[in-house]
Amino acid sequence: MHKRTVVWNNSLMFPVVFAILLAVLVMSLIIGCARTENDEKKIIRFITWKPNQPAVWEEIYTLFEAEHPDIRVIREVGPHSSTAFHDLLAQKLKNHSPDVDVFFMDVIWPPEFGSAGWALPLDELFPPREQKNFLNGPILANSYKDNIYGVPLFIDSGMLYYRKDLLKRYGFNPPETWPKMVKQAREIVFEESKRKEMFGFSGQFKQYEGLVCNMMEYILSNGGRILNPQTEKCEIAEKPAVDAVRFVRNEIIGKIAPKGVLTYQEPESIAIFIQGKAVFHRNWPYAWEMSNNPERSKIEGMAGITKLPRFSGNKSYATLGGWQLGISSYSKNREAAWTFVRFLTSEKIQKHLALKAGLAPTRKALYKDTEIIQAYPQFSDMKTVFLTARPRPRTPLYPAVSNVLQRYFHKVISDPTSDIEKEACAASQEIDRIISLQDSAPDNSAVSMTETREELGIETKDAISERTSE
Amino acid sequence: MKLSKLIFCGITFVIVFMSLLPFVWFVNTSLKTQAEVTAIPPKLASSGSLHFYRSTIEEHDLLHYVKNSVIVAGATTCITLFISILSAYVLARLRLKYKGVIMGSLLLVSMFPQISIAGPVWKIMQSLGWLNTYQGLIIPYVTLTLPLGIWILTGFFRELPKELEDAARIDGCNRIQTLYKIVVPLAAPGIFTAAILVFIYAWNEFFFALLIMTQRKFQTLPIGIALFQGQYTLPWGEIAAASTVATVPLVLLVFFFQKRIVSGLSAGAVKG
Amino acid sequence: MVMKTKCSSITKERIFAASLLIPCFVFVCIFAFYPILYSFFLSLHRIILGLPSIGQPFIGLENYRELLHDRIALRSLITTFAFVSVSTFFEILFGLIIALVINRHFRGRGLVRAAILVPWAIPTVVSAQMWRFICNDNYGFLNYILFGADISKYRAWLADPFFAFAAIVTADVWKTSSFAALLILAGLQTIPDELYETAKIDGANAWQRFRRITLPLIKPAILIALLFRTIDAFRVFDLVFVMTQGGPADSTNVLQFYGYKKIFAEGFMGYGSTISVLVFITVFVLSLVYIRLIRTRLFTET
Repeated sequence: MHKRTVVWNNSLMFPVVFAILLAVLVMSLIIGCARTENDEKKIIRFITWKPNQPAVWEEIYTLFEAEHPDIRVIREVGPHSSTAFHDLLAQKLKNHSPDVDVFFMDVIWPPEFGSAGWALPLDELFPPREQKNFLNGPILANSYKDNIYGVPLFIDSGMLYYRKDLLKRYGFNPPETWPKMVKQAREIVFEESKRKEMFGFSGQFKQYEGLVCNMMEYILSNGGRILNPQTEKCEIAEKPAVDAVRFVRNEIIGKIAPKGVLTYQEPESIAIFIQGKAVFHRNWPYAWEMSNNPERSKIEGMAGITKLPRFSGNKSYATLGGWQLGISSYSKNREAAWTFVRFLTSEKIQKHLALKAGLAPTRKALYKDTEIIQAYPQFSDMKTVFLTARPRPRTPLYPAVSNVLQRYFHKVISDPTSDIEKEACAASQEIDRIISLQDSAPDNSAVSMTETREELGIETKDAISERTSE
Repeated sequence: MKLSKLIFCGITFVIVFMSLLPFVWFVNTSLKTQAEVTAIPPKLASSGSLHFYRSTIEEHDLLHYVKNSVIVAGATTCITLFISILSAYVLARLRLKYKGVIMGSLLLVSMFPQISIAGPVWKIMQSLGWLNTYQGLIIPYVTLTLPLGIWILTGFFRELPKELEDAARIDGCNRIQTLYKIVVPLAAPGIFTAAILVFIYAWNEFFFALLIMTQRKFQTLPIGIALFQGQYTLPWGEIAAASTVATVPLVLLVFFFQKRIVSGLSAGAVKG
Repeated sequence: MVMKTKCSSITKERIFAASLLIPCFVFVCIFAFYPILYSFFLSLHRIILGLPSIGQPFIGLENYRELLHDRIALRSLITTFAFVSVSTFFEILFGLIIALVINRHFRGRGLVRAAILVPWAIPTVVSAQMWRFICNDNYGFLNYILFGADISKYRAWLADPFFAFAAIVTADVWKTSSFAALLILAGLQTIPDELYETAKIDGANAWQRFRRITLPLIKPAILIALLFRTIDAFRVFDLVFVMTQGGPADSTNVLQFYGYKKIFAEGFMGYGSTISVLVFITVFVLSLVYIRLIRTRLFTET
């Protein structure tokens, strides 16, 4: 008996540690339970990214909660990169996470989210007569088969920003072709870098969705294509596409653009430009507001904006971007969620976003709004850009297609010894294979054909005829 | 003689320096102000500001992640230990066929690449409706830490003198009583060692947490740290602050219990 | 009579023993072995989360055939092997040095040991963020050490395929060398001091003593550390997820990350499972070697 008590004493440590662990566990469970919200307000959770103008969005949320005192919006901020944002959001929706009511969708996701059943079809809430008030391109991007899965909030397309002051100093006009841009950049950098650090160009070349957007602009403006609408075959291994990619590798990366652009997404690339360290910059429309924001930009009033350059003998192209709002199929507050979506995409808010944050509206009427045109004269010019903006391939398997493209582009532009033709062929075959998987779905094949056709060309024509008829 | 000692000291210093420097730099970063963090070229000194700690707690809900990590790692540790004690006792003391096979397959489990079970585990949790719940993460963690716990404890149990147990049984204790009255207290140091290692594993795990905890309310610290987002660039100051918070408990464990950890890790020579 | 009671008590003990093992058995079977089999089952089907309309058709070994032609998977396999061999090599090398140091008796040995263990205890995600910050092209410590205030020389380390790979290896080596050291240390401590004393008397210098005594005697420990690190390095994921997301140019796209991308980001549950099975088989073969090696110990102890 005596022995045993000794044993117990020696080993007090174990029960004590165990008890502490248990206590902590129980306590945190209690805290956790006690914190369940017993708010009377309806709560909607909005998955968003960190906006570039947080203050502007803050105002909007406050306004919304003032107008709808019974609804509270809780925001959850996702990663900046579209690809990483997609992966996380998709994982949330796959897990049927109840903390998603409303979410942002990149322009390429609605087919996937609709097909997988994650996004709620909005046709009853957002009928065709409502859809008519929006630009055609974004509406099409949100439709898949016979349903619409999102409401477009703002439209994006690639633009070329340049330093008016520098171009003027060296007697250049904004470049119309890519080679011209390279030449101008070289000359300016050669002179300027005697005084300070200076680069010719910055864009988004990290291995992520933005890379596809950037590269598409070179390929399409050289007469190339990602997919052939008739045959549904991938054409990135054709000569125009390969030449465009080679141009980026030989003339841009590590030449007029710092090698670091291979890790840059939008925030890093614009930082160089607004710090006055780059002559040219490719970005979405929001960059205009940022370049002229005296709090952040060192080049206020010096930035110019124009169409993206092209290769000679071809037309300039900009990738269609933009963000939509979708509602989760697993949302328990659909009505409140729709109230929020309708509010954000209303004319009033879109105007606010256009004026304060430089985001291009998706409602047609706003392009005739004098206030907007006055504040952003380039919006009327940008109209032409929006008309030529090309969507990326539309398919529920887009993430897979995009990953192949990202991989291929990043490999060949970051490794100067890689064989572009060979890599392009392999990537092209891979994409063909993925697209063919989609056709193996029995009820899908017919749709995917028409969809792909719409997406490449016809849609743009429709948009043009509609826009010009206004 | 002197020279060799000097060389030895030098090497030791370099090793310690290299082990600590990167992390010290990161902790230092967490004590800077925003301007100091984004200074180009970097500034060495920090002004000792607690700004980032405040902002991670207030804006990024740091304590929430800490709470989840404590719950998940704590529960995993308790459950794993409980099951490991039972199993290790069997493997160390009782007669049973195929012990070698059992030990071997446990070892195998400990080497499973997460990806090869992730999809199915996710599907199981989905069909149980356990995604975004604590048990949804605790259960895979228990499974993956069991081999570690059992291996360490089996080793410890084997080394215990058998006489005490025999005495207890003569006193009229049955097997279970002997286990919790004699074996467990005697093996307390071993159990504690196993507890530390299991806790560290569960505290640090990332892969399953990424798949199963998609709801912020349930996310653990590693997820929070990996997915921190910022406005223009990554919020390095906040990341560094959260990282420090996540690491401090572990560093304390290491400094107080390094002997146990070392013995635990080398005892099995198997992380399991 | 006596024999009979003894027999039944043995059976009873066996039943009792088995019942104590049940909880462990349940966990391991349901959440470890069953998922492995299930992965294999999934890999024989075409399952695409983004296309629920195609159902889950059985396609036999189609996915495996595809895997054979998947250049990215092949590349990923090579990358993984490169990562495993390079990082393991350095971990063993540094592990050996560290072990030799902490095996000595000196004041403050406990503190030194604790300091060395710190990297091992740090969550991988934290160490990944840390190295990512160190390698940052603007604010990073690495550029500062190498180039000081000369900003124009600053490099974006993670933008370069080679350096990004090197960064991941470095992060892994930094974090796990101490673990290798511990395993080797266990081997070192079994060497009796007398051996060294005798060798010294025989006039062997430090290098000879190391070559002739230490190295041969800790060979088994090194082997175990080697195999263990190999298997663990095979499972690298957190570092890649945080530091590079597989880029640049796929230079860090290791198998676990590729599989994760396929299954969870692209939604190819079937094809992704094929990669899971591939990873599993590779690790399984390695594990068998490992278990073989320590088997002797296993049996002598039981």
